[in-house]
Amino acid sequence: MDVNQLQRGWYKYLTTLFKEGILDDQYKQLQQLQDESTPNFVLEVVSLFFDDSQKIIYELERALSQPLVDYKVIDAYVHQLKGSSSSVGAYKVKEVCVKFRESCENQNKEGCTIAMQNLKHEFSRVKHNLQYLFELEQQILSAGGSIPTIML
Amino acid sequence: MMQGNIWVSPSSRGLVQSMTLVVKFELNLSGGVDFIEPGPPSNSQLRGLRVILADDDGVNRLVTRKLLEKLGCHVSAVSSGFECLSALGTAGSSFQIILLDIHMPEMDGFEVAMRVRKFQSRSCPLIVALTASADEDVWQKCLQVGMNGLIRKPVLLEGMAAELQRVLQANIGM
Repeated sequence: MDVNQLQRGWYKYLTTLFKEGILDDQYKQLQQLQDESTPNFVLEVVSLFFDDSQKIIYELERALSQPLVDYKVIDAYVHQLKGSSSSVGAYKVKEVCVKFRESCENQNKEGCTIAMQNLKHEFSRVKHNLQYLFELEQQILSAGGSIPTIML
Repeated sequence: MMQGNIWVSPSSRGLVQSMTLVVKFELNLSGGVDFIEPGPPSNSQLRGLRVILADDDGVNRLVTRKLLEKLGCHVSAVSSGFECLSALGTAGSSFQIILLDIHMPEMDGFEVAMRVRKFQSRSCPLIVALTASADEDVWQKCLQVGMNGLIRKPVLLEGMAAELQRVLQANIGM
């Protein structure tokens, strides 16, 4: 495949992620913050987001499985996840966090359990999507092309 | 990249008669992703500004730091209220702006601001809060503890530039 085709594929995929609401404008801002001084900025931020979220999800599952659920602890974790997901533009993850906090406030265990499932689902989805997007970017770069952020 | 070609057609006597340039132009790809105009607005006031940023979340810290750097600020980033206070202690008054996440464990942004204001005037250094909260009374509380500005999360480049400039303008000569 030539560079042009790869760039088109990348663009199409990214557009779908925005259309489906998996990503929002914050992600565009991340891309624009990337410059010569930090050529891997997006990858760096998103990788940190993946790692931190994975840890938080693990802690949340542990906290939810306790016989006596401490909703304050859960709320603090979800608050953090809401903040970081909104910073990277992982819109659906952020939305789930909003619902999760509502259930937390109402001390609604069932609601929290459902939110937990949704969170895991949305997180693995955006992770998969972004990893694929980065793969496409790698392909463009190794074919001698550039990621056409400014062009868009 | 543009899949172009260029060739020269010489005449029988070897002189260049015509030159052909073929360039493939890309038509505008179907919409959906409209990127914000690249490059920060002109923020000469913010260039070289020394800022300390305290946020406990690594992702947010990375993004906010980069936003500030885009605006031309010199940034030190720390991950807790304690670290912020100790950095202020050692570096003295070398920071012009303290950017504080309100929601931090152990010592939150309000408490950091109160401690800073115990020893320093209301405008030196300037303190700006960062919050994801939509509550109206957050601003009131910020004012009570001696903060000078407030930026809502998620932070956008333009919004941050505007609030930092407002805060600087409001405190000129103080």
